[in-house]
Amino acid sequence: MSRSVWKGPFVDSYVLKKAEKSRESGKNEVIKIWSRRSTILPQFVGLTFGVYNGHKHIPVNVSEDMIGQKFGEYAPTRTYYGHAADKKAKRK
Amino acid sequence: MTMTDTICVGAIAGAFGVHGEVRLKSFTADPYAVGDYAPLTTEDGSRSFEIQILREIKNGFAAEVSGVTTKEQADALRGIRLFAPRDRLPNLPDDEYYHADLIGLSVFDTGGAPLGKVHAVHNHGATDLLELQVPGVSRTVLLPFTMAAVPTVDLTAGRIVADPPEGLFDEVQAPD
Repeated sequence: MSRSVWKGPFVDSYVLKKAEKSRESGKNEVIKIWSRRSTILPQFVGLTFGVYNGHKHIPVNVSEDMIGQKFGEYAPTRTYYGHAADKKAKRK
Repeated sequence: MTMTDTICVGAIAGAFGVHGEVRLKSFTADPYAVGDYAPLTTEDGSRSFEIQILREIKNGFAAEVSGVTTKEQADALRGIRLFAPRDRLPNLPDDEYYHADLIGLSVFDTGGAPLGKVHAVHNHGATDLLELQVPGVSRTVLLPFTMAAVPTVDLTAGRIVADPPEGLFDEVQAPD
């Protein structure tokens, strides 16, 4: 069952505070968070969060198309290397 | 020059059926593309194979390999990794790089101090991430592959210049 709309998206309050503090300081820094369950809000766009995966903090650059997802979706808890082969990486 | 001459694009997992077909595992981004890089060679380049993909099967493809007509011959190829020359990969637009080219490059900060070497490239749904092996430390660091964090990629010189965000290297600097 989906979450009631009247409640609004769930975000741990400390994530909001840290994001606001980082935005005010204007520093290029990784905001370390442990809250994988928090929803990505529009005010997080452009910030870099270090989302804990149980082992280390995975850097997640928030972009517009990530709004509404949870932070945990971008920090997998299992590592898979695979083969490089012809796979490509794009610098954004 | 750190670019490797050949890259591993697949492997033969054994025979498939009794008519000389093989079970082919593809490592390419588009699994069907493994056939486009044929002829493929072994790692040492001593043997060359023309490969024709026949159909998709569980855990790979059924494929025909040149010179293989019996199950015994197909079984003998089990475990062979297939390599394609690096120059057979198509050229990419600016700011797009093959993982194979990035892996192994040395990473320096804007002051010229070494940060590590690229160990792997990941994408977890946000931006691409370079996994750096920091010298003298067993743990690795993930660096976002963005213009801001990685202003320069020089494939010919084999070096990357990075301007990592604050706090990225805190975990490896802290005692284990």
